[in-house]
Amino acid sequence: MSNATIVEPFGDGFVNALCPELILFAGLLLLILLPNLGRGTFRIPGTQLRLPWLLGGKRFKLSSDPRLPAWIATFTLGGAFLDVLYIFSQGLERVSIVSESGKELLLINGFSRIFELIFFGALALAAFSSMNRLQVNGIGSKISERELYNNRRQADFYILMVTCALGMSVVALAQDLFVLFIGLELASFSTYVLVAFLKESKVGVESGMKYFIVGSVASGVGLYGLSMLYLWAGSLQFSVLSAAFAESGTTALPLIGIGFVLVGFGFKVSAAPFHFAAPDAYAGATSPVAGVLATASKAMGMIGLIRMLLIIAAPESSDGSAVWLVCLGVMAAITMTWGNLAALGSDNPKRMLAYSSVAHAGYMLAALTAVGAWNWDAAVAGDASAAAVAVMTALIFHLVVLVAFKLGAFLVLSILESEGGASSLSSLGGLAKREPLLAVAMFIFMISLAGVPPMAGFLSKLLVIMGIVRIAVGDMGAEIADGGIYVLGDMHWVWWLALLMLINSAISVFYYLRVVVVMFFDEPEEGREGPLPRGWQVRVAILACVLTTVLVGVAGDSLIRLCEMAAQSLNYNW
Amino acid sequence: MSGTEVTTTVHSDWMQYAPLIILLPMMGFAVILFLGRVFNGHPFWKKNLKEGGIIALLVMGASFILSLLLISEFLKGYSGLDEIFEQIAWVNTGIWNGGSTTEPVSFGFGIYVDHITVMLLFVAAFLCLLINVFSIGYMNTDPINDNRNHRFYAEFVLFCAGMLGMVLADSFLWLFIFWEIMGLCSYLLIGFYYERPSAASAAKKAFLTTRIGDVFLMIGLVMLWDLFGSLDYAVVFDTQNIEIVAENSAGTLQWALGLMFIGAVGKSAQFPLHVWLPDAMEGPTPVSALIHAATMVNAGLYLVARMFPFFGAESLHGDLDDLAFIIAAVGGITAVMAAGIAFVQMDLKKVLAYSTMSQLAYIFTGLGCALYLANTLDWHNDSDAHYIVVVAFGAALFHLFNHAMAKGMLFMASGSVIHEVHHAHHHLHHGDEHDDDDFDAQSMENMGGLASKMPITATAMLVGSASIIGLPFIGGFWSKEGIIANAWRVALDDPRFLFPAMCVLLGAAMTGFYMSRMWLKTFAGKPNTEVAAHVKPTNGWIKTPLFILIFVTLSSILLAGMGFTHWAADTEYSFLSEKNILNGILYEMEHAFANSDAFFFILTYVVIFLGAVVGPGIAMALYGGKLADGEEAKPWMRPVIRLNTWVNKRFHFDNTAFRESSLATALENRLYIDEYYDKAMVNIVAGFSNKVAEADTEVIDGTIKAIESGSQSLSSIVRSLTTGSARDYILMVAVGTLAISLLIWGVA
Repeated sequence: MSNATIVEPFGDGFVNALCPELILFAGLLLLILLPNLGRGTFRIPGTQLRLPWLLGGKRFKLSSDPRLPAWIATFTLGGAFLDVLYIFSQGLERVSIVSESGKELLLINGFSRIFELIFFGALALAAFSSMNRLQVNGIGSKISERELYNNRRQADFYILMVTCALGMSVVALAQDLFVLFIGLELASFSTYVLVAFLKESKVGVESGMKYFIVGSVASGVGLYGLSMLYLWAGSLQFSVLSAAFAESGTTALPLIGIGFVLVGFGFKVSAAPFHFAAPDAYAGATSPVAGVLATASKAMGMIGLIRMLLIIAAPESSDGSAVWLVCLGVMAAITMTWGNLAALGSDNPKRMLAYSSVAHAGYMLAALTAVGAWNWDAAVAGDASAAAVAVMTALIFHLVVLVAFKLGAFLVLSILESEGGASSLSSLGGLAKREPLLAVAMFIFMISLAGVPPMAGFLSKLLVIMGIVRIAVGDMGAEIADGGIYVLGDMHWVWWLALLMLINSAISVFYYLRVVVVMFFDEPEEGREGPLPRGWQVRVAILACVLTTVLVGVAGDSLIRLCEMAAQSLNYNW
Repeated sequence: MSGTEVTTTVHSDWMQYAPLIILLPMMGFAVILFLGRVFNGHPFWKKNLKEGGIIALLVMGASFILSLLLISEFLKGYSGLDEIFEQIAWVNTGIWNGGSTTEPVSFGFGIYVDHITVMLLFVAAFLCLLINVFSIGYMNTDPINDNRNHRFYAEFVLFCAGMLGMVLADSFLWLFIFWEIMGLCSYLLIGFYYERPSAASAAKKAFLTTRIGDVFLMIGLVMLWDLFGSLDYAVVFDTQNIEIVAENSAGTLQWALGLMFIGAVGKSAQFPLHVWLPDAMEGPTPVSALIHAATMVNAGLYLVARMFPFFGAESLHGDLDDLAFIIAAVGGITAVMAAGIAFVQMDLKKVLAYSTMSQLAYIFTGLGCALYLANTLDWHNDSDAHYIVVVAFGAALFHLFNHAMAKGMLFMASGSVIHEVHHAHHHLHHGDEHDDDDFDAQSMENMGGLASKMPITATAMLVGSASIIGLPFIGGFWSKEGIIANAWRVALDDPRFLFPAMCVLLGAAMTGFYMSRMWLKTFAGKPNTEVAAHVKPTNGWIKTPLFILIFVTLSSILLAGMGFTHWAADTEYSFLSEKNILNGILYEMEHAFANSDAFFFILTYVVIFLGAVVGPGIAMALYGGKLADGEEAKPWMRPVIRLNTWVNKRFHFDNTAFRESSLATALENRLYIDEYYDKAMVNIVAGFSNKVAEADTEVIDGTIKAIESGSQSLSSIVRSLTTGSARDYILMVAVGTLAISLLIWGVA
């Protein structure tokens, strides 16, 4: 924290530091303005003079193009993504945005930047591939559900995508719980609307509504927790709170507060038992949006948890006895098992992917638990902070690569969806014959989700499990070699989470491969024998996902290093 | 691979592109396979891409050019360093060091280049390219292959990628991985005509037989890993590491190497795992050429050659001589056995298959002897001994080179003959009553007198056969003579080696007979059938590689003169470093024909007499004869035909007695070895496997089914909690919140 450049809001260096966010903001303005440009005129009162003022009226050819908002959104989000990449390539600078009253608002470092990479990447892909997904023709009296979208709604959809990205990046940068909460709600509200965007479809609205209600309850509980923390410490600043925790963090009030906040973020990462609305929401939303929920939205929840548990409540837990540790461990165990068991029996591929993302949330919570236990026993901890960085790296890496294969799988489903629904596994039937490359892509996503080498999913799962075991074992191996005697019980109990992860991975292979079986060996459904709906954008997005999945799997070195850097930048309290 | 403290020396500019030599064919595999659907549907692309043949040609050409660049860099940049080493890490970060280790463990692929690599790289890349050219002429003109040639080319390039990868790999682990890729491709390619039951079963046989060897190879590798803690060449060939191992566990090392040798026996089709190779002739002829000349069988030899640093290590002096003897003896047995079976084969390709087995056996014998010499002589300090070891090892490697070139040419020439005989039959009998009778285009009974009809093919066959026989001055002579001489040199030292030495001597005569028999029956004499009388010259795609290989085989003398035998084995030696090429040739001549040592002087002439006079002489007396009236062979083949006519007239004798003897029957039945294997399989293995299968269905499947149904019912319980009502969800959130609060309250 000491070597961060301090910048005041709108002061020198502000534009430089917040360039990706400002790109988003500019894009947002463009999205609102451009589709509204037209031959609108303004009559000067009392005269017959009409001044063209370009807003409203008959639209120009360009501004009435229904694809325009999608392109703007794609370029905005993609531009922000590239900008973050460029920033990484230039070498990162720690920049802290501090208000005039001395309150730290935003902190830009490797950690927040890599999460922005996740958000912008996922949303850019989703926006790009929604271009085919949202129908643009056929407004009139005889409107079917899929023909409903005119230019206006197109713009709404993409405006929401960009605000979602903006909210998420605020969450990633926030250094104050209040700022974090505002970002969280900005992103959440955008996603609620995005889920229910198909307002003509009963399923869509119902699921959006449920998602909103349950989400509001969880947010409410979380907010309540925040207010408790404020009551206790008199501030919502991370630095103030963590100092307070280091001093007297074992009293009940802040701990209950933390527990309540856990509920709020638990909903975002869809951890059991707060995940119930998630499968409904994923099934009701359009597939690209569901993909965003499963990747970017989840990453946002993880940031919240990381900030809360590791930054604020970590000082107290540095000996591995944090009160939230057991809580989180139990939650991780239940979440991963529940997700996998539920996925095992679902016939709806989107629900299946939703439950699988619940299971993945469980894996990530397990990793987080392990980080919390990083220094549990000084006798065997070994190089504990290196181990903690390793787990953190694994966690971030997992979130990053998840975008490639989870979102990719949803995008494949989205093509089927625009053909007439993807609500049952049999709709994937015969995909290998109808469009072999798409089936191969889906196959790659599935085995990556299952964690088969050499896909990226294997690497991330391996890193997580290895990291957890490493924390649990510490330097026992070396001490055993030196003649020390240890039994299983001497290891930290997070070890069992790694074991549970392994068992769960084994279970999950079943339902992932069932998709593959259906694609390659079953016949197409009645009436779906023909070629799939066209649209190059979504296919390009899928190709990008496939390439990332495979390339990161075989040559993930540089990405791991990037994540390692991000993980290290987090540890100013460690 | 765990690369501990490996020094990375990037030695040349082209080195960094070396992985492309493997990657290009691998990408070609995917491209050809996936584009197959596209170009098979479009006549234009199908014709112009030759169903993928052109794509294959491009990638193989690029691979060959890159290989040449790499080789030339290696030869030029030679500076006493015998290896270029580069590791491309798969994942190489500190993250990997789990638990107690402190150094990062990297998993990666590296390129290792030394003289053996360079030689085999050239052989593999060059022959793969030529066979690819040949394939376009052979596969694409046969209607039976229509619309599935893309599968052939895809598997073909993957096979080549496997071989090139194996040669370039920098560790035994990667060697094994590529080795298995080749195993897979050999299965796919031998079974290319999978609709024929014989091809399908041949593919299975090849796969399973080599798999037996591979299991042993894997065990050997695991043992080696256990000894060295790594399979990187850089680690296992390190003198100090070998010293440490030699101190405690030289015996274990011998076992490890022995088990690895069994893998080589399977891959190179040596006794007793040779049974797959003749059946592998069921594949298309380019595949036979590929397996028998360029790739698969050389893999086993390469593996044994790679073991040289162990045998040559000072610290293991005299510890590994038993294994060397076993290698030589297996070679000896196979050399004679395969040659004997080749006597009675009627199928043109099968003669060549057995000849391959026999010649590989020569190389194994040569390697065994060289390894014995390296292990027992004090060659690190004694310069005479050093020369003996190096030349013995080099002779074996040189024979590998000569054999690969000659055998590639022979197989392609045989393919050319079969192709044209088949076409002639098709042309002649199309639509009449003989159209679908089972005319065998591969049987020599249906050929004869083709020398005048297919001049290039006949010449290629002639030169190839001469090289395999070891006729003085041509191709294999320069290496074969060295192998036999070294076998006897070792035999003088260790009486055990008298057995392989006798075998190779006998084998020389037998080779002379069966190769001559093959040529004479096919090309000399009068056409045996009407079909043979109507054979036409073959097409340019097929002729070109034959033409090139004729010159390569004939120029073997130049390589010998450049000191190839010395170079291939000695890391301190480079081409032409001691003598210029003329002196080199003269030296080799003198060495071969006027050896100062009386024993070897006599031995040389015995070998020449047996191989070049007795064997071919008997064959000439029995087979062949004058060409049909009005047919005239090309001038360079006329002397052969004339000699044959004369010998045939003057010395012809009746060999019916031999042909009907029980020995001949046994040979025709491949000494009944296959039958014994079948019996053993049916009675022992199948019985055992039935029992295992029963246990599997009952115990293992039962357990898995129980787990599966159990988790399915759990799943339905879990899912029934997801009611779809938001009220229930909120209830669950409340329950969760309460649970968390209570838990934290309790702990706090």
